[in-house]
Amino acid sequence: MSRWTKLFSGESTSSAGSAKQRLQFVLVHDRNEIPPGMLELIKDDVIAVISRRIHIDRANVEVHVTHEASEGKLVVDIPLLLSEEPVSGRTTGRTTGRTQTPRA
Amino acid sequence: MARIVTITSGKGGVGKTTTTANLGAALALQGHKTVVFDGDIGLRNLDIVMGLESRIVYDAVDVIEGRCKLKQALIRDKRAEKLSLLPTAQSRDKSAISPQQMQQICNELATEFDFVLIDSPAGIEQGFRNSLAPATEVLVVVNPEVSSVRDADRVIGLIESSGKGPAKLVINRLVPMRVKRQEMLSADDIVEILSTEIIGIVPEDESILAASNRGQPVSFAGKSPAAEAYRDIARRMTGETVPIRVPQDGETIWSRIFGGGR
Ligand SMILES: Nc1ncnc2c1ncn2[C@@H]1O[C@H](COP(=O)(O)OP(=O)(O)OP(=O)(O)O)[C@@H](O)[C@H]1O
Ligand SMILES: [Mg+2]
Repeated sequence: MSRWTKLFSGESTSSAGSAKQRLQFVLVHDRNEIPPGMLELIKDDVIAVISRRIHIDRANVEVHVTHEASEGKLVVDIPLLLSEEPVSGRTTGRTTGRTQTPRA
Repeated sequence: MARIVTITSGKGGVGKTTTTANLGAALALQGHKTVVFDGDIGLRNLDIVMGLESRIVYDAVDVIEGRCKLKQALIRDKRAEKLSLLPTAQSRDKSAISPQQMQQICNELATEFDFVLIDSPAGIEQGFRNSLAPATEVLVVVNPEVSSVRDADRVIGLIESSGKGPAKLVINRLVPMRVKRQEMLSADDIVEILSTEIIGIVPEDESILAASNRGQPVSFAGKSPAAEAYRDIARRMTGETVPIRVPQDGETIWSRIFGGGR
């Protein structure tokens, strides 16, 4: 992004701002001893497992690590999809969220 | 045959990581298959200076301990197709790798790459010895400052006695104006004191800070004085005759405005 578009978009992409963001991200991973790139792999695993049971919005699944009050957390955010068709194999367990329950 | 170039200094904070990242980018953009290898176990920084930190899954210690193949630990830089990073472990200490294991990894890298650049940790202890073990040549980064020059002398001696010499000097953070005012050692002074060949002079350059803030080494783009200096060093490394330029205070209002990203 050029300096002009930056100026007009009002987006804060100062180099110090970018340094702060990158540091916050990398330090959470350092402290929890989870390499950042591992999250992409975990995300793929989560999508594979969950979508066997329910419809999820695969493109918008988010996985990240937080570190608050000296406790690390893996936070997984999985948006659900409304769908007419039940997922094959979704015969056990109950669905939550706004997805429809399978029709008999 | 691949060249394994270790970048070291003795004293900390003089610009080894900055130099490794920028020479890596410059060599790759000049057409040489290059891997930059972080030799600073437990205090890795090459990844964040290069802006590749978010892509790390495995590191060199994982390779050594058999948790992955070397290929899985290599990160290909999307900005330069011939550039890769081999990160090291962050949550381990120097003893996690032996000099022999460094050599093994480098032997394997040498089959894939033209250049292996190793970013050595500061000091003269195990991390330094590990980084030196596989080297076929060594660059010593030095600042125009008494403690840095003294430590460089010690390290040059160690390089010599381990049969890896002669080292070549990268003089970093030179401020031409202060040399002119005789407030700072000149490049000639340093070469004379260390009686070591010089491969380049990199001026103090404010675009270096913005570059590491963003994870975008100056050699990838831009015309900042440091970027030009690193590109010249890369050309000299590959045998081109590029005369050593002593940075001048050529800063114009235009280079101030258009020089480096903020
Ligand atoms: N030519 C330069 N102009 C301005 N700043 C520079 C220059 N070279 C390096 N620096 C700055 O100096 C600091 C130290 O650089 P760097 O991390 O590369 O040193 P290092 O030798 O790898 O340190 P360490 O011994 O801790 O590994 C950084 O803040 C970097 O941005
Ligand atoms: Mg360093």
